[in-house]
Amino acid sequence: MTRNRILLAVLLAALALGPLVLAEFHITLLNYIGLYAMVALGLVLLTGVGGLTSFGQAAFVGLGAYASAYLTTAHGASPWLGLLAGLALTAAVALLLGAITLRMGGHYLPLGTIAWGISLYFLFGNVEFLGGHTGISGIPALTLFGQELKSGRDFYYLIWFVLLVLVLATRNLLDSREGRAIRALKGGALMAEAMGVNTPRSKIVAFTVAALYACLSGWLYAHLQRFVNPTPFSLNMGIEYLFMAVVGGVAHVWGALLGAGIITVLKQWLQDWLPGLFGQSGNFEMIVFGLLMIFILHRAREGLWPLLLRLFPGSVAHRPPPAAAEPLPRRTLPPAGTPLLEVREASKRFGGLLANDRMNLTVKAGEILALIGPNGAGKSTMFNGISGVDPVTSGSVSFLGERVETLPAREIARRGMSRTFQHVRLLPAMSVLENVAIGAHLRGARNFVHAALHSERGEEARLLHEAAGQLVRCDLAEHLYDPAGSLPLGKQRIVEIARALAADPCLLLLDEPAAGLRYLEKQALADLLRRLRDEGMGILLVEHDMDFVMGLADRVVVMEFGKKLAEGLPDEIQRNPLVLEAYLGGVE
Amino acid sequence: MKLKPLLAALFSLAGASVSLLAHADITVGVTLSATGPAASLGIPEKNTFALMPTTIAGQKVSYVVLDDASDTTTAVKNTRKLIAENKVDVIIGSTTTPNSLAMVDVAAEAETPMIAMAAGARIVEPMDAKRAWVFKTPQNDAQMATAIVEHMTSNNVKTVAFIGFSDAYGEGWWNEFSKIAEVRKIKVVANERFNRTDTSVTGQVLKVLAARPDAVLIGGAGTPAALPQKSLKEKGYKGTIYQTHGVANADFLRVCGKDCEGTLLPAGPVLVATQLPENNPIKKVALDYVGKYEAAHGKGSVSTFGAHAWDAGLLLADALPRALKQAKPGTPEFRKALRTALESTRELTATHGVFNLSPQDHLGFDQRARVMVRVENGAWKLVK
Amino acid sequence: MDLQIALLLGQDGITNGAIYALLALALVLVFAVTRVIFIPQGEFVAFGALTLASLQAGKLPGTLWLLLGLGAAVALVEVASALRDRHTRRIPAILLLNCVLPLILAGLLFVLSPANLPLALQVVLSLVLVVPLGPMIYRLAFQPIAEASVLVLLIVAVAVHVTLVGLGLLFSFTFGETLLQGQTILVVASSAVLIVALYFFFERTIHGKALRATAMNRTGARLMGISASMAGKQCFTLAALIGAFSGVLIAPITTIYYDSGFLIGLKGFVGAIVGGLASYPVAAAGAMLVGLLESYASFWASAFKEVIVFTLIIPVLLWRSLKTHHVDEEE
Repeated sequence: MTRNRILLAVLLAALALGPLVLAEFHITLLNYIGLYAMVALGLVLLTGVGGLTSFGQAAFVGLGAYASAYLTTAHGASPWLGLLAGLALTAAVALLLGAITLRMGGHYLPLGTIAWGISLYFLFGNVEFLGGHTGISGIPALTLFGQELKSGRDFYYLIWFVLLVLVLATRNLLDSREGRAIRALKGGALMAEAMGVNTPRSKIVAFTVAALYACLSGWLYAHLQRFVNPTPFSLNMGIEYLFMAVVGGVAHVWGALLGAGIITVLKQWLQDWLPGLFGQSGNFEMIVFGLLMIFILHRAREGLWPLLLRLFPGSVAHRPPPAAAEPLPRRTLPPAGTPLLEVREASKRFGGLLANDRMNLTVKAGEILALIGPNGAGKSTMFNGISGVDPVTSGSVSFLGERVETLPAREIARRGMSRTFQHVRLLPAMSVLENVAIGAHLRGARNFVHAALHSERGEEARLLHEAAGQLVRCDLAEHLYDPAGSLPLGKQRIVEIARALAADPCLLLLDEPAAGLRYLEKQALADLLRRLRDEGMGILLVEHDMDFVMGLADRVVVMEFGKKLAEGLPDEIQRNPLVLEAYLGGVE
Repeated sequence: MKLKPLLAALFSLAGASVSLLAHADITVGVTLSATGPAASLGIPEKNTFALMPTTIAGQKVSYVVLDDASDTTTAVKNTRKLIAENKVDVIIGSTTTPNSLAMVDVAAEAETPMIAMAAGARIVEPMDAKRAWVFKTPQNDAQMATAIVEHMTSNNVKTVAFIGFSDAYGEGWWNEFSKIAEVRKIKVVANERFNRTDTSVTGQVLKVLAARPDAVLIGGAGTPAALPQKSLKEKGYKGTIYQTHGVANADFLRVCGKDCEGTLLPAGPVLVATQLPENNPIKKVALDYVGKYEAAHGKGSVSTFGAHAWDAGLLLADALPRALKQAKPGTPEFRKALRTALESTRELTATHGVFNLSPQDHLGFDQRARVMVRVENGAWKLVK
Repeated sequence: MDLQIALLLGQDGITNGAIYALLALALVLVFAVTRVIFIPQGEFVAFGALTLASLQAGKLPGTLWLLLGLGAAVALVEVASALRDRHTRRIPAILLLNCVLPLILAGLLFVLSPANLPLALQVVLSLVLVVPLGPMIYRLAFQPIAEASVLVLLIVAVAVHVTLVGLGLLFSFTFGETLLQGQTILVVASSAVLIVALYFFFERTIHGKALRATAMNRTGARLMGISASMAGKQCFTLAALIGAFSGVLIAPITTIYYDSGFLIGLKGFVGAIVGGLASYPVAAAGAMLVGLLESYASFWASAFKEVIVFTLIIPVLLWRSLKTHHVDEEE
């Protein structure tokens, strides 16, 4: 990654030398770009990475600015106290708003933030002690190391230092266990939940962190400008922040900086130029921004940053597998023959359709139970019911002697059940190694603060080592750093198995693991599953390939029309007339 | 590669803004609100700068006019840009009080005189080291509010209700008006707010009606101030309705129509220039401006807001010759000399009144700077 | 507050609520069929009102330029796609629909001197000018990314809103004038008629049923031969019609500015969210609630009116969130 190093060095040098050569006005512009980029950075985390979005970031900037402005002018408090108060207030509001909106579909958050952006703007404008629409003036300057930061030039280094620290912290956060959980929100929430990720919590973390970045920007703004009034915190500004993130590249931390720069400079330029062109005054730059946004979302949804990178082609260096680390502690498996899973009278209803009808089955430690049946028999529905992804309507599911049918998927995963999906659920842009590391999510404990500071590197090394180990075990060692989406479908299924194994389960649920595999690969998979069984794991398997099933399973359960048709040893099932009828008689 | 043209554009843009403007003898930097909520005030101001003299006392004067979109942050950014990049000798602006207040720090820091076109008294009061650099041309809101209150007391108004914009304008008027009304023993029985874009003010109007005031003051600017007035009339209000000088333009009269008959408002004399008595020196200056403006923009297009900009130009034209004797334009000494020269303005007749500035008073208007006006037959009529 | 004031406030609230209800219905419809959260809905209200006002003032409405411009852009996109697919025979129809008809309309406006026409004709002309903007916007901004996530569509919707407001200012509709008083009953009655008409459209006509089918199951509808882009255009036409009609309705009782539409549209949204962006009757009821709340809030605490109206969304969202508990996958 030497190319990035060089680019970063050039950027840092340019930033450091900037104030020595630039005019005051350009310093002012750069200060604003820095402040805006902080907010846009939060949106990158939220929108580009987490797949959520907010139009209310400007309101969080306002909270940060007003909290400090009020405390320093009305109570003579130190700006640093103002910062703490602002952060605390912002976190509280973000947590509340997140708790309310994030449980629902993704579009409720942006709609909620539009409404909240409008209310807060009018609240700032109408509350007397906040100066109303006239605003608060006379905010004291910041004092840093005994030096009063009075001019924009003084502020410049502070703003850019804070921004670069935030960029670094964001990159750290994304490259961690918590970061993988946030990255899984966009397109993989269901899978993440089944791997034990508390997705509502991850959403709230991403939303709160984004809000705190905005608050920090607002605090700096208040003490740079030394004057606040409601206009810079209105919904229009919130929309502009989102535009910055999208134009720059909403999935890239540096995209925030690029976007803030482009929009700020472009706005400055258009405001001088467009009114002349149209022969009248107006905020016509918004027409250009709107069209630019539509164009970018149509043609280059990743924004301009990836396009910019393409101008500086660099070679991707070969990366060695993760360094050896102390293995993670393992679960003690129950002795062979212990009942792991007991499903009793479980039914699942979708409106008028009874997909599972009073199903019963038991899986013991150290056995492979195959669940077979024609298409539409309700096998995957049963899987979803057992794993809590889509709970059963009635009946009971007991895992290790505990009733789990009402628990969320992540709680069931925590108890030692792990699964794969019939339709592969990997994050295609993420590396195979990181995809598998999501499986080990529950085996780490350090939170996002540690991640941002990268003080959890020991644990992270152990998680990655574990993930790499499972991939080696599944014969995927040469694909560690390939994007998961680039693998053939059959191999992606094996990646799913490796991910499930990374959770160190005592019960493994495999939904059609052999589909798309060649003969030799099937043999290897069967060997792997036998080995796991012999180690004491219980395996519940849905599969269509009869040769594969009959050679592997200890017992077989046959389903048809949501009901159990037969149960027994593979030999018995193969001779059962009802099963033959269902499979052969049903063929038209 | 679609990116290359964009990058090229960005670089050329950066280059263009670095290259210095051709330096004229005297540079006047202007930031005003030609767009956004205060646009109805800022646009006539902007038009007025196009009419200003390009030579004063034999020196070439160039004007750099920027739009701050009624936004405080942009106003501050513009001020920094004018000072650092255009090396202006004086700044005129901005249109609104919050914008101008925020600019005070920047202008004082750069020791550049600034002439605000906004009404808030706080821009020049109380006098301190920073405000020493700041002047303004519009009458203080307090002066206008006093005119209204005086008219109320002499017309036996005991109770009054206030409906104002839910923004800095409405808020500023409420603060000034409620203070003065209390002193003059007028009871304010309701204080309501509405938004510029509201489609209905029924709730506010009903609240006002329920309080049964002798008069209602509407603290709004431009055409949106017509909505509460129409609503009051529709609900059968019979008392006197006062507006502020923020409505003093032709659009307001047209939109409000016959619902505005009899409405009273304080304004600068320029609004009714033709009706001023011949012996009033303001009449000639005001008519001169009105003539120039209407020649460029059509009959009936003139407004009192543009006249504030014109007055700023008159102040400069008066002070510049004195400053030019002390120092060369483009130097810190010249800016200092200009500041002192502005402070020594005496009996300068302008369109809105007569300026008498001093180190303590950077506005310098007396009661000659305001008249009461009544709407009669869809036109402004001077109240004698 | 005595009874008379309460009644007057209620009347005001119902009048505004009726408009919000119409918008809420349009928003629910657009979301159900296309998954677009149609933020620019309010702009159609403003455009409708301003177009009518310009016609009455004898001025050429700015929406005409917008129509001609968008029509040309759509024609360009459609002709390019027709050439690509070698369907050259479609080109005359494309040009007729998107360029010739708007030009004929422009010619009519020049010839007819609309200020002297009867009110009904002015209203029809306004609708004819504004409504085609709906499907054109769909064609240009949304159809090319119809399969994108709700989030992307939402951001595009916001971008469209921002562009339309800017264009609204550019085409110098600053404001529409107040014309006549006391047509609040007309507003409520017309809204009710429109709601009933919509009901019959969806229940009784083949187009309405096709739209409903698309809303329930996009893939299924496509398999049955209902084109998703056709359904999209139709529901944007309906949304534009509802918006412009609302604008025409309120134009006489208030002053509309080029940027008035946004807040009006958002209040419709609050109503639509009460209905979970899914239920038409609940959305309409929610919108009425917003209108009433706004009216009473403007009496009790006018300075905090918007704060109160938009904070209403928080308990509503809380209530809805307690009702749902699933991990959504699509976003």
